[in-house]
Amino acid sequence: MTILEAFAPLFAPKTVAVVGASSKGHALPNVFIRRIREFGFAGDIYPIHPAAEEIDGLPAYRTLADTPRPVDYAYIAVSAAQIPAMLSAARGHVRFAQVISSGFGEVEEGRHLQTELVEAARAGGMRLLGPNCLGIYTPRGRVTFTEIGPREVGPIGVVSQSGGLGVDIIRRGLSRGLKFSGLVTLGNCADVTPADLLEFYIADPHTRVIGLYIEAARDGRRLFDILRHARAVKPVVILKGGRTQQGLAAAASHTGSLAGDDRAWVALARQTGSVLVDTLDKLIDTLLIFQTLAPRPQSPTEKVVLFGNGGGTSVLATDYYARLGLDVAPFERPIIDALAALQLPPGTSITNPVDCPVGTLQQDDGRVAERILDIVCARGTPDAVVMHLNLSVFAGRTRPEVLDNLVEAALRVQAKRPGQSHFVLVLRSDGEPVVEARKRAFRDKAVALGIPVYDEMTNAGHSLSALQSYERFLSRRCLVPG
Amino acid sequence: MESMDEDPVSAARRAGRHAIDERAGKRLLSSYGVTVPRSRVVTRVEDVDAAMSALKTPVVVKVMSPDILHKSDVGGVKLHLHSALEVASAIRCMRDDPRIEGARIDGFLIEEMAPAGHELVVGGLRDPQFGPLIMVGLGGIFVEVLKDVSFRLCPISRIDAEEMLAELKGAALLQGARGTTPASIDAIIEVLLNVGGEQGLLMQHAADICEADINPLIVSDTAAIAVDARFILG
Repeated sequence: MTILEAFAPLFAPKTVAVVGASSKGHALPNVFIRRIREFGFAGDIYPIHPAAEEIDGLPAYRTLADTPRPVDYAYIAVSAAQIPAMLSAARGHVRFAQVISSGFGEVEEGRHLQTELVEAARAGGMRLLGPNCLGIYTPRGRVTFTEIGPREVGPIGVVSQSGGLGVDIIRRGLSRGLKFSGLVTLGNCADVTPADLLEFYIADPHTRVIGLYIEAARDGRRLFDILRHARAVKPVVILKGGRTQQGLAAAASHTGSLAGDDRAWVALARQTGSVLVDTLDKLIDTLLIFQTLAPRPQSPTEKVVLFGNGGGTSVLATDYYARLGLDVAPFERPIIDALAALQLPPGTSITNPVDCPVGTLQQDDGRVAERILDIVCARGTPDAVVMHLNLSVFAGRTRPEVLDNLVEAALRVQAKRPGQSHFVLVLRSDGEPVVEARKRAFRDKAVALGIPVYDEMTNAGHSLSALQSYERFLSRRCLVPG
Repeated sequence: MESMDEDPVSAARRAGRHAIDERAGKRLLSSYGVTVPRSRVVTRVEDVDAAMSALKTPVVVKVMSPDILHKSDVGGVKLHLHSALEVASAIRCMRDDPRIEGARIDGFLIEEMAPAGHELVVGGLRDPQFGPLIMVGLGGIFVEVLKDVSFRLCPISRIDAEEMLAELKGAALLQGARGTTPASIDAIIEVLLNVGGEQGLLMQHAADICEADINPLIVSDTAAIAVDARFILG
């Protein structure tokens, strides 16, 4: 059986069993039943209950072995001690069991119970997810443990050892435009590990980008071997918890396993072309850039043009980008001359970074941007253009369509030269409700056009730097000459 | 001492040792293609003449003893010896040294001295989750104070080895910055691959070697020579 076949029932189950739902309908598993129905799950749902005839309007069954059809996915949230016996009695009737309950290996007194749990899953003939996790979110299978999340199938496959962080990735990713091929929370990883799902996502045709949140990898060697053999065919972004001594102690109490070593993870990233990040925001930012921009190993991102309003912002960003290894080099004379010929209003800086006060940007309702960027892209061949708009300054001074026109201008310039430069948008705000509302509306439009949108120049910078390191890795190691 | 034909790792294991001594460690390195100084072992001063006829001067003499961990701290290393006479006298001095007298002595190692060059450190380490890692750094203060080292998981490829060296902060020194003779980057890369590559020493003995130290690896513009080596088993 291939890895795709092995995990197909998990990502697109035809039958789901739910253990722990009560006939009164208030327990977490009842909420799970409600959510997957709302999410459009069309297969059979089998509540498992020792006594009730019916739960949430569905016929209930006594054990996992009693359901009319075999169970592709079982969601289990009852007290820890009773679960092993339940699994071993399944007699090959269950493909995947996800144990939400805690009280296993993450606490000293639950270690033995976790060993029992793993043995019971093996005896019952199933693969085990968890324990101590929150569930799965799989839009292709219409199963979700979170309240909100995009309904359509996207390109990002995620494995998170932490359940809560998995929720954060989906919820925060939503407004940023992240779309997922699946997200699995694994908790203690007693049986199925991040390496197993990494292997699946690498093979999975829906998945183009992979995100991992890992606290401890007991099978670090296997993870390395899988990544090494994959030859960076898909970008893999790794958020590693427990890299410092203090973080390590927190990780040990969180998932109850030994944490790896920072230098080993740094080495792994360099050798496999994976991107190592250290915060949730960077994980989301980096996944976004890989979702929206096609890596160009033929010419890894180096030359960046900054274009927008805010002189200090441009200067600080230039410094920051230089430290990241991105080159915001001043334009050559011919570009400056061509820009000067546009006779832009005073206060406009026509070298790189191109700093345009709002007065300039709103010329011709924003269409001026097309003339500027045309010159810049035709003669300067930048690898990336970062357009940054400080919306606080636009508010109350310009008509809303100016913003649209600015972005459309950039897209038109880009479309004239396909594959030449990445386009990234930074929408800066001061947090005032009016500005925030305008930013949200505008961001949604841009996201719908497939543009990566960031809150600040720094976020866009480290995301471009991640893209650069991936492109460089491919260009150095994986490009076949000719 | 282990016989010449037995693999030094198995021999040390069989003898119940937790480390491989310098001479056996060098034989192990040599069997993986790493250059080590030519050497002879003598147990008696009378044998020095014969040993020296096979070696080029200058040489170094080192005491070999399972009881002495840091040879140079107890006067167990004598450098820059140019004749059999000087070697014999160095051995007598060591024997009479009160810090060495009481130790079990396996013999005295007479080694050709490596020509001057850049001092590097190549190390190995077994990580509980990832298995063997290889490390490289520039010797002396670069390793000890500045921690200017880079790690990779084994097995490493040629590109990995090149990138390991390139990411050292002191990389420019190897290219001959500050008027020094450039080090042979190719020779260093060969050592890294012989130690940490797919067929390298650390991968082949992953089950037995938990730490390795080649310190120093002396690199001239043509060659890299492992001048001292230690392997910890476990």
